[in-house]
Amino acid sequence: MSTIETLSEATKGPVRSAFHALEQRLLSVVAVLTAVVLVVLFYYPVATVFADAVLEDGAFTLEPLTAILTSEFYLVDIIWFTAKQAFYSTLASLALGLPAAWLFARFEFPGRETLRSLTILPFVMPSIMVAIGFVATFGRNGTLNRALSVVGLPPVELLFTLEAIVIAHAFYNAPLVARVVTAAWESVDARAVETARSLGANPRRAFRDVVLPQLLPAIGIGATLTFIFTFASFPIVLALGGFQLATIEVFVFAKVRDLAYAEAASLAVVETVISLGLTVVYLSYEANQRAAGGSANPLPRQTVIPTRWTPKATLRTVGIAAYALVVGLVFVVPIASMILASVTGADGGLTLEHYAFLAERQATGATFQVKPLPAIGNSLLFAAGTLLVAVPMGVTMAVLTTRRYRGRTLIDALAMAPFAVSGIVVGLGLLRGLVFGVDVFGTTIRVTGALAIVAAHSVSAYPFVTRNVAPLFSRLDDRLVESARSLGATRTRALLDVELPLVWTGVVAGAAFAVAISIGEFDSTIILAEGAGRYTMPVAVERLLGRRLGPATAMGCVLLAVTSVSFFVVDRFGGRWGEL
Amino acid sequence: MSDRQEQESRPTSGTESYTHRTKTERREPGGSPVKLELDGVSKRYGTATALDSVSLSVEEGEFFTLVGPSGCGKTTTLRCIAGFESPTDGTVRFDGESMDGVPPEARGVGVVFQNYALFPHMTVGENVAYGLRFADPPGDVSRDERVTELLELVDLAGFEDREPDSLSGGQQQRVALARALAPGPDLLLLDEPMSALDARLRERLRRQVKRIQSELGVTTVYVTHDQSEALAVSDRVAVLNRGRVEQVGTPREVYHRPKTRFVAEFVGENNVLDGVVTRSLTGRRGQLADVVESRLETEGVEVGVGDQTFVLDGVDGDVGEAITFCVRPEDLHLDAGENRIRGTVVETEFQGSATRIRFDWQGIELTVVVADDGNETVELGSELDVGFDADAAHVVE
Repeated sequence: MSTIETLSEATKGPVRSAFHALEQRLLSVVAVLTAVVLVVLFYYPVATVFADAVLEDGAFTLEPLTAILTSEFYLVDIIWFTAKQAFYSTLASLALGLPAAWLFARFEFPGRETLRSLTILPFVMPSIMVAIGFVATFGRNGTLNRALSVVGLPPVELLFTLEAIVIAHAFYNAPLVARVVTAAWESVDARAVETARSLGANPRRAFRDVVLPQLLPAIGIGATLTFIFTFASFPIVLALGGFQLATIEVFVFAKVRDLAYAEAASLAVVETVISLGLTVVYLSYEANQRAAGGSANPLPRQTVIPTRWTPKATLRTVGIAAYALVVGLVFVVPIASMILASVTGADGGLTLEHYAFLAERQATGATFQVKPLPAIGNSLLFAAGTLLVAVPMGVTMAVLTTRRYRGRTLIDALAMAPFAVSGIVVGLGLLRGLVFGVDVFGTTIRVTGALAIVAAHSVSAYPFVTRNVAPLFSRLDDRLVESARSLGATRTRALLDVELPLVWTGVVAGAAFAVAISIGEFDSTIILAEGAGRYTMPVAVERLLGRRLGPATAMGCVLLAVTSVSFFVVDRFGGRWGEL
Repeated sequence: MSDRQEQESRPTSGTESYTHRTKTERREPGGSPVKLELDGVSKRYGTATALDSVSLSVEEGEFFTLVGPSGCGKTTTLRCIAGFESPTDGTVRFDGESMDGVPPEARGVGVVFQNYALFPHMTVGENVAYGLRFADPPGDVSRDERVTELLELVDLAGFEDREPDSLSGGQQQRVALARALAPGPDLLLLDEPMSALDARLRERLRRQVKRIQSELGVTTVYVTHDQSEALAVSDRVAVLNRGRVEQVGTPREVYHRPKTRFVAEFVGENNVLDGVVTRSLTGRRGQLADVVESRLETEGVEVGVGDQTFVLDGVDGDVGEAITFCVRPEDLHLDAGENRIRGTVVETEFQGSATRIRFDWQGIELTVVVADDGNETVELGSELDVGFDADAAHVVE
């Protein structure tokens, strides 16, 4: 402790002091490593895509880009359609999510907390599985049409329509809107409303003048995020829209399948520029509108069943019941339909034949056919790999983004960029770059499909780790670390002894997110798994879906089982934070 | 904690043996060398200056207090000493050795923060033992014995397995103190450690901290915004304002002989008046005073404030010179004193043993404190005859 001891420590030999120096700088070392990983796994691939778009045989050209930006087909049928479906999806998500926020924030009813924590579910649900659920619900022989035929109504054709896409997007994003707005609503101080009332405002006026202004930023955040997510939506549109209703993402994918890389890259660049622009708008907006934490004095909650059945109260209860029905239809029916379809035969009776088909395929299938066990094995392997890469990256980023230093905004933006860039673009970049081979000083460096998939998954997963851990870090008192350091702990020891134990729940929740994201990831996986035999469960579902619904739903149920475990862990250890 | 436990936890033997050992180890024979030195320490954040060339020296074993209003730089100073901040300019020295580039963990300081900053995931015992992971306990004791010893010292014997959350604020603060002291730091740094506690508890804890500090003889730097606290516990006090040191001295020096107007007004309550010297009175009082008294050589001046003239003893000044002086409220008297003024009462405050009267004199509000005799009341708006002796005034910069 004393200076004399410090001196004697320094003379204990070069090995020890080298170790000491490393320990003191471990955080910086890991930060640099994280930056290198990000550059190699994210920025370099994205740059590859950009280069593909503007380089032809090594010469600079704007031809592919201008071809896209002057083509009526691309502008109207692809880009405009992408924006249009994102806009409708945002409206639908708001319509479905805001009543939920109102219920969560202002009412007390059994299961409120459980329902509220269930809103985290879409984040860990593989999108291809949701798509399967919607096919099982709205398809020609889906639950909806069977229900209609029972009551004697003609069947409706919802599949491959804009409506199906919009509803599926609402499934994903309405819970996000609900979470963000509920958090804002609960942080409204009841005393502010009471003050407004005492100054002469009626309840409606008090809501408009006091509550609404505090909700609008949250609504704005929810809407912007929804737009960004749905603008870059891929599996849902692929499964529910086909190539007839194609977003930019789906078309990029189609072009990659046709091996038209330059065109795919140009299109990807257009999409990335738009997404990044939206994200910049979002981040600056979010920075200005950070909602405060829960209020010490929140608005009181009412009961759903009124104590007195006045006309107004009755109307409200009926409205809530109708809303509950819609929620059931959008959220419960697709999943139930998928499970049901997996055990329903062609004749409509209960059967296990689809699972038997999977088992048989496993036993006798040809090498080019999709087998279930390799899919499960690959998924778990990639998930484990993602865990190893994404968790240290995410935690380091959380440490860096909660410290105050110059240039932090830049670091924040660079670190969160993977949020805005779609998996298709990252996958395409990895494929065109590292997988096909990169010449470095005369040697060709090439990574395998499996490594590339882990890389792509880590890039899309680590922001979720950061998002789970960073709020906990920022809530930690700086004095804790300072106390530890004044007691003799190095910066690294303080991190290990004090900070990590206190943010542990966030790390576990973030890890569960990372696993769930990896297992459900579809966009980049389907590009990188192409031909590599490295298909995962979601890719298997998609390939089976092209042939018969039954086995696809059976595979979807396997996927559901695996992700449910992830959800359980997320909910057990975290997920109560309003941030996501 | 029950009362019985509290009593049981106060055996003096353990404390004394500890104290004895530490004292013989730490005290160097024949005086107190400089333990801590700040030499022209400045700290700037962008264009804002938090510390402006602060120079201080703290002696071995001293209880040294940094006091000032919020934002004066006292906490920044402490953080520069602890190594949490590095000065933009200037040097911090421990035992004459520069601390530039020495990380906090190698400085041998113990820090106690206002909000205690106990590690919430460790028990009380683990908290206190934390610093012993990196250093052997001083003296020939095991880590466990050292923890027991320290908890006894802060009257929390037997609290080893308690969770910090289950403790009261005062108890948490004492755990924080024990934790900081456990590795035997060369320097104890206390950053507003009492501010979060209520007044009565604060007073009790303050006495306990002072007692432990003098028992251990550990050099202590204490940061507070509460000037009465600073006067009560310190060997010496540094008054800070806007990142600069206004005055360093013993509590009595700072109270009775403030160097600047800021110190005069910040430390205790004061009546500060601006005037101009109208006459020099060298030698006048010497003839009148008792020969035995040291006033023989006393000089004095007459100072005009508004249309009134005051006589100030022991003050040197040229005619026409602007002068600022202060008189403590307790040095003002009703119907007595060499310098008399008449004012109008604007506010009275009963304080138990005394009454504080604010009165207006020529548009200036002044304060007088008078002992309360139990029945007399002063009415608002009534006229007051107030005076002070010529030697009660003190001139500030």
